[in-house]
Amino acid sequence: MLGSSSNSDNPSGGGCGAAALPGGGNSSGHSNSHTHHSRQQVTDRLKMLYPNVNEAETPLPRCWSQHDKCLSIGLSQNNLHVHYKGVGNKHDGSASVRTAHPIPPACGLYYFEVKIVSKGKDGYMGIGLTAQQFRMNRLPGWDKQSYGYHGDDGNSYASSNNGQSYGPTFTTGDIIGCCVNFVDNSCFYTKNGIDLGIAFRDLPSKLYPTVGLQTPGEEIDANFGQEPFKFDQIEDMMKQMRAQMRTSIYDYPMPLDQGDPTTLLHKMVSSYLLHNGYSQTAEAFARTTGQTFHEDISSIRNRQKILKLVLSGKMGQAIEQTLRSYPGLLENNKNLWFMLKCRQFIEMVNGSDIETTPPPPNQTSVIQSTKSYQNGKSSSGTVAHSNAQIATINTIATTTTSTPTTAVINADNHTHQQDMKIVSVLDENCTGDAISINNKNNSANIDYMNDVEMELNMHTTNGNSCKNGSSNFTSSLEGDEEMDIDVAPSTQKYSHGGIERILEFGKELSQMGQQLEKENKMNDEDRQMLEDAFSLIAYSNPWASPLGWQLCPTKRENVCTALNSAILESMNYPRRPPLDMCVAHASELLKVMAHASIGACAFVNIEDVFPQN
Amino acid sequence: MSYNEKCDGITKEDWMRKLEQFPYKQSDMNRLIMNYLVTEGFKEAAEKFQLEAGLEPSVELSSLDDRILIREAVQNGRIQEATHLVNQLHPELLDNDRYLFFHLQQLQLIELIRGGKIEEALTFAQNKLSEAGEDIPEALNELERTLALLAFEKPQNSPFSDLLEQSHRQKIASELNAAILKCEHSTDSTPKVMFLLKLILWAQSKLDSRDVHYPKMVKLETALIEKPK
Repeated sequence: MLGSSSNSDNPSGGGCGAAALPGGGNSSGHSNSHTHHSRQQVTDRLKMLYPNVNEAETPLPRCWSQHDKCLSIGLSQNNLHVHYKGVGNKHDGSASVRTAHPIPPACGLYYFEVKIVSKGKDGYMGIGLTAQQFRMNRLPGWDKQSYGYHGDDGNSYASSNNGQSYGPTFTTGDIIGCCVNFVDNSCFYTKNGIDLGIAFRDLPSKLYPTVGLQTPGEEIDANFGQEPFKFDQIEDMMKQMRAQMRTSIYDYPMPLDQGDPTTLLHKMVSSYLLHNGYSQTAEAFARTTGQTFHEDISSIRNRQKILKLVLSGKMGQAIEQTLRSYPGLLENNKNLWFMLKCRQFIEMVNGSDIETTPPPPNQTSVIQSTKSYQNGKSSSGTVAHSNAQIATINTIATTTTSTPTTAVINADNHTHQQDMKIVSVLDENCTGDAISINNKNNSANIDYMNDVEMELNMHTTNGNSCKNGSSNFTSSLEGDEEMDIDVAPSTQKYSHGGIERILEFGKELSQMGQQLEKENKMNDEDRQMLEDAFSLIAYSNPWASPLGWQLCPTKRENVCTALNSAILESMNYPRRPPLDMCVAHASELLKVMAHASIGACAFVNIEDVFPQN
Repeated sequence: MSYNEKCDGITKEDWMRKLEQFPYKQSDMNRLIMNYLVTEGFKEAAEKFQLEAGLEPSVELSSLDDRILIREAVQNGRIQEATHLVNQLHPELLDNDRYLFFHLQQLQLIELIRGGKIEEALTFAQNKLSEAGEDIPEALNELERTLALLAFEKPQNSPFSDLLEQSHRQKIASELNAAILKCEHSTDSTPKVMFLLKLILWAQSKLDSRDVHYPKMVKLETALIEKPK
């Protein structure tokens, strides 16, 4: 149908004013009504369709907006169903609704479908897109920056009252799809799953899916991707565009000022190998490509040696070697030193840092079961602890007997874990010595012994002794029915020396932490790191504990990288090899492209740069 | 509202911080390197890397042997040998890719010039090379540059000395290697690292064309990033 010009001059029919400007808060009403049980599924389908869209920044259209609509438009079914409830007057009765959010151009290719539930009286319906400025008492296509395909005449309207002959008419039972291509800014429609060809070109980048109705009884249902589309080729089209985009990136010419591409790759690979200390690979590569490198090969080997120690968990040796080879490095970078030592502590628990007899990684722990119970007021309730004066272990204390008893506590750690409460030694209220409860008469004496399960042999503390300590705490085993109290020590696991070494080292570490704290060098991350490391000791099975991830050898990588970066930086090399920087840079560039509404970014992902296997 | 305004807010410092915080995965980076070594046929380096980085290559390294021999021949200036090997391996390859064939012939001419075999070089150029480059417009210019080397007593000091450098051999070796991979329908004949670099250049050109301001990487080799203009 034609929209008369007089109509566009008089936008005041049926209670419709100009649409509120989008953006900001007026678009909130949409998802509240999404109580549908399939919502999770819905979310996933849309995410799969548009993987590069960051919905935290640019939400996808998921339903019609309750705000950006004409009064004579009624919404139902999670704001997906639209019906006309106006009087229905050919020209004045037009009523539109659009989605709450514009289509994020990072979709690359965006598609939605509308099912005509009923053509109502006359079937004057328009399906399409509108830009920011949108008048809700008009059908999409008539106004500036609005685009529509109309059911009664099958014409396409591009910001004009005059339609262009485009496709067939549509009516009750038809499914009309609208697809926006953000790479070439074009749009095509489908009818019942058949592509009708390009309808519009040179579209603006900010567009809202929109429908307009005009006569009583008209009803439509929208599918923004929640359900499979009638036009099922859309996903193939996306796949095809992804392949095309990849080809066009591969074909992008390498400008001369970047140097000869072959040489460029040689240099980048070489610098990566050297940076990470792959000295033999670097040498073999250099031999073949005829390159030379700047860093002395013996220096690289030395660095490689240290990194290998870190990666195999031999932190003590790694630190020693670093101190020897790079004097001043750790001394001037205490936080790094601290990080290395925290890792050393973890490796000690892991059994990797014990040079002599590395125990098999069979799930046992230093202290098997401990439980702390904090007295409300003294937030610093930490620890129980032993001859070694270290205050990492909270609690202990089992019975109230004042005579030391030897008990081996065998905790079922699965059921027990939740009860564990670990308190950091680094709690600000605690200063080093205050934490350790050094109670002469009834010291909590932790003994490591025996049994594969690594039982804890405790000379239990009694109530009084707790109060004598500077930290006020009580501990109990109440409610821990799962714990077996067993008095039989069996086979020796850790040597006395081993555990003492860990505890001694823990003390040293906590002192270092406090020193850093005094120097204001600790940040939350450091504190967390220390707390997590110390907490391991509270679990009977640290590997299975919620903090067990720390023991995973892959966690050595970060430490390794940090140390390597610091060493290289101290030698005036970059902290990261150029290749790493390129990956991160490319990833950020794609984000900027999404921001800048450059649709092409939809079809490339930073993961694409890595080989699949 | 223009998105550009938002991007104007990115300072180089913020950008560098983001790059530092990128969730690098050493294993992914290592796979990227292995992919390069294998694709380009650096067998020895790939073997060492397998040991040092504890990483399995995606293909049997022994399958690289043919490509290695060819690469080595080109890198060491034994062009006839390389051509012979390629013809044994894929007889149709050089027939179909005339430009590549021209490059090999050109390299052979360069080797003759390097060896001071002036007369041989001239004969070779007249008999073989002019024919090889007949249908390829780009080839003519390259041929002229090559022959221009003859005009200098010390070609090493001429403006065309780049042709005598090892990097030129490397370039042709890589070109040939990629052609062999393509011929063998290897899924990726270009190493992924190249895709990464092209991705940066491509993305930057897209952003430039929209006048978006962002910290630009101006030199890939050193990952040098400029302040947003």
